[in-house]
Amino acid sequence: MAREIAKWERMAAIPNILIVEDDRETRSLIAKYLRANGCHVLDAADAREMQRAMTDHRVDLIIMDVMLPDEDGLSLCRKVRAKSQVPIIMLTARGEDVDRIVGLEMGADDYMVKPFNPRELLARINAVLRRQASALNASANAAATTYGFDGWRMDFRLRELRNPAGARVALTSAEFDLLRAFCERAGRVLSREILLELTQGRNCGSFDRSIDVLVSRIRRKIEADPQDAVMIKTVRSGGYMFTPVVEPIASAQAATAP
Amino acid sequence: MKLVDLLIPKRISGQIAAIVVISIVVIHAILTAVFVLNRPDPRTETVRLGPGELTALIQMLGNAPRSERPALIAIMTRAYPQFDIAILGPEVKLISPPGPRGGPPGPGDGSPGPRGGPPWPGDGPPGLGMGPPGPPPEHGGAPPHLLHLSRDYRPLMLEGAPADRIAVALPDGEAVGARLAFDHRRPPFWGSTELIMVLFLLVSLSLLGLWAARALSAPLSSFAKAAENFSLDGDAAPLPERGPEEIRKVARALNNMRRRIAALVDDRTKMLAAISHDLRTPITRLRLRSEFIDDDTCRNHMLRDLDQMRSMLDSVLTFLRNDGQREPMTLTDIATSLQSIADQFADIGHQVGYRGPGHATLMARPADLQRAVTNLVDNAVRFATDVSINLQMTADRVVIEVEDNGPGISDAQKAAMLKPFVRGDDARTMDEASGFGLGLSIANAVAIAHGGVLSLNDRQPQGLIVRIELPTRAEPAAASNVTV
Repeated sequence: MAREIAKWERMAAIPNILIVEDDRETRSLIAKYLRANGCHVLDAADAREMQRAMTDHRVDLIIMDVMLPDEDGLSLCRKVRAKSQVPIIMLTARGEDVDRIVGLEMGADDYMVKPFNPRELLARINAVLRRQASALNASANAAATTYGFDGWRMDFRLRELRNPAGARVALTSAEFDLLRAFCERAGRVLSREILLELTQGRNCGSFDRSIDVLVSRIRRKIEADPQDAVMIKTVRSGGYMFTPVVEPIASAQAATAP
Repeated sequence: MKLVDLLIPKRISGQIAAIVVISIVVIHAILTAVFVLNRPDPRTETVRLGPGELTALIQMLGNAPRSERPALIAIMTRAYPQFDIAILGPEVKLISPPGPRGGPPGPGDGSPGPRGGPPWPGDGPPGLGMGPPGPPPEHGGAPPHLLHLSRDYRPLMLEGAPADRIAVALPDGEAVGARLAFDHRRPPFWGSTELIMVLFLLVSLSLLGLWAARALSAPLSSFAKAAENFSLDGDAAPLPERGPEEIRKVARALNNMRRRIAALVDDRTKMLAAISHDLRTPITRLRLRSEFIDDDTCRNHMLRDLDQMRSMLDSVLTFLRNDGQREPMTLTDIATSLQSIADQFADIGHQVGYRGPGHATLMARPADLQRAVTNLVDNAVRFATDVSINLQMTADRVVIEVEDNGPGISDAQKAAMLKPFVRGDDARTMDEASGFGLGLSIANAVAIAHGGVLSLNDRQPQGLIVRIELPTRAEPAAASNVTV
C-alpha cells in the first residue's frame, strides 16, 4: 500500500476519484478499498448526485456504473465527455463485447466487468491517470485512438491489433500494454525497469513475469523472423527499442478497412 | 371471394373428383369433335362413287332380261360414264378366279358354271358375298368382294386387263365388265382417321393426367420436404401454408406449435440470463469485502470460491448467449490466439504448449473461438499433466486440436459429454470440478456457428483429443473492424 501512495505522490497529486454506483454496499466497499490505497474518494448514487459532486469538487477520474436508476450510464458518459476530458472507467454487470465497444464509443476510457478484481481496478486507474498525464504533455497525438506502424494497426479502444493484411492478431493484456508502451515511445531506448513500471499491475499476481518473456512473445507474433527481430530491437545495454515509425491515425480513418 | 376461388376445390377429395370428371368430359368432347368433323356433309359433297353404286348397277343388270340390258347400259353409261359398264363378248378372255387355296380355275368362257360355283374363299353368309381379301390376282381384276354381290354373281378375271377393271358373271351367265372408279384399296392402317384420333386421345389424356397429378402432388411433396427440414428452432423457415385444405391445416398447426415453443424457450432463457446477471452484484460485494480479510488463508479460499462462482456465471451466460447475438466474422490470425492461450496457461504453471504454424489466417469469430479453446484447455488441465494445442491448416480446412494425456472419455460417454450440464464424473465433488459442465457444449456450439464440427477422439496411449474442424472461407474479404 505504501508503494501505491508513493506512486501517487510521484504524480504530484492524490487523485480525486468519483464513484457513481447505485448499489450502496458496492459503492461503499469500492470507496473503502480505494481510500485504503491512497485515493480521495467521492461517491454518488445517481446522475443527480454526480452532477452535484462534479460542480462542488475537483474530480480526476470517474468510476461509473452502467445501470443507474435515473439515467442510463452510457448516455451519462456521453454527456460528461461532451463537457470535459475527465477520464471515465465504466463498471458493468454486462460483459458482452458489444457493450464494451459501445461504452468506449460513448467516450469511456476503460471498461470493467463485475465482479472484478479490485487490484485490477486500481491498476487501471493508475494506467488511465498516467496516460492522461502524459497526454496533457504531448501534442495532438493525444486524440488518436489508433496507431499505425509498418502497415500494422493498433486500436487502443477496441484493444485490437491488426496485421497489414487486416487480420486480427491476438495479444494478451500484458502484451498489448507493453506494445502500446513501445508505440507511445517509439525510437527511444527503454530499459526493462521503465517498461516494467509502465506496464506493471495489469495482471495482478504476475508482477514477476519478465519483460523479456513478453517481448519474445510479441516478437513471435509481429516479427517476420522472430529470431532476427527488426521491430523490437534488443539494445546491448539492457533494454529494447521499438524501431518502426509510429503514426497516430485519426478515429474516422481507423473505422474503414484497409 | 372471386368466382374462380369458389369453383376450385380445396380439399384433396374434391381435387381428385374434379380431375376424374374433367378427364371424362374431355374424352367425350374430343370423341364428339372427331365424329362431328368427320361426318360427311351432304350439302357440299357431290355424290361419291363407291362400291355401293356399282353394286346397284350390276344388280340392276342382273335382274333385267337380256334384251333390255343394252338399253340399260346406254342409260348407265350416260349417268355414270366413270364405270364404263359394258357387256363382255366372247372375244374377251375370261377366267374364273382360282378356287380356295389356288385350286384349278373354273371354265373361263363365260358359260355359267355349276350353280353356286366354287365357293369363294371364306364365304360369309349367303346373299351378301362378303369375304376376306384373297391373294392379289395374278391377272387383271381387282378383288371383286368389294362389290358385296351375292353368290349368284361370280367374279371373273380378265386376262391382260388393267388392275382397275373387273368382270362379273351375271346369274344368267352373261359377263359384264366395269371399271372400279373409286379407290378400292383399303386405306393404309397408319393414316386412318381412327388411328389419328386414338393417338390424339392418348397424348392429350396423358398430358392432362400428368399435369393433374403434378398439380395435386406438388403441394404434398413440397410439404414433405419442408417437414424434413422443419425444426423447432426459431431460425428455420416456417412450413408453407399452401395446397389443399388438409395440408394447410397441418402446416398451420405445426407452425403454431413451433411459435409457442420458441416463446417458451425464449422466456426461460431470459429468466436464466436475468438471474445470472443479478448474481453478479452480490458476488461483486463479496469480492470487494474479501480484500479486507486479514487472514491470508481465509482470504485466498474465499477468492478461489468467488472466482469459481464468477466463471460458472460466465459460462452460463456464454452458453445462453450462443443463441442470440453473435460476434461478427472477421479476418483473424488464429495461430496467435492459440499461442496466447497456451502462454496464459503456462504462466499459471500448467504444462500447456502450442504446436503449429506461427501464423494462420482465416475468417472467424476470434473472441468466441478463444473462449471455446480456453474452455477446452481448462477442462484438459484439470485431469492431465501435459496439454498441447495443435493447429493445422490445409487449403480448405483448419484443424484445431486440444490434446491431453489425461484419463480420456470412454466411447459410451462421448456423445453425452457434448450435452450441456454434463460433467465428467458426477460423483466428483465441486472442489475439483469448477464448472457447470458447459465447456464442451459451448465449444461445440462455437464450432457449429463457424460451419465446422467438433469431435472427441481418443489419444494413444491414453488421453483425449478434442478436434475442431473449420472450413476456411474461399477468399477472405477485407477485414472489418468490429462494429456495433
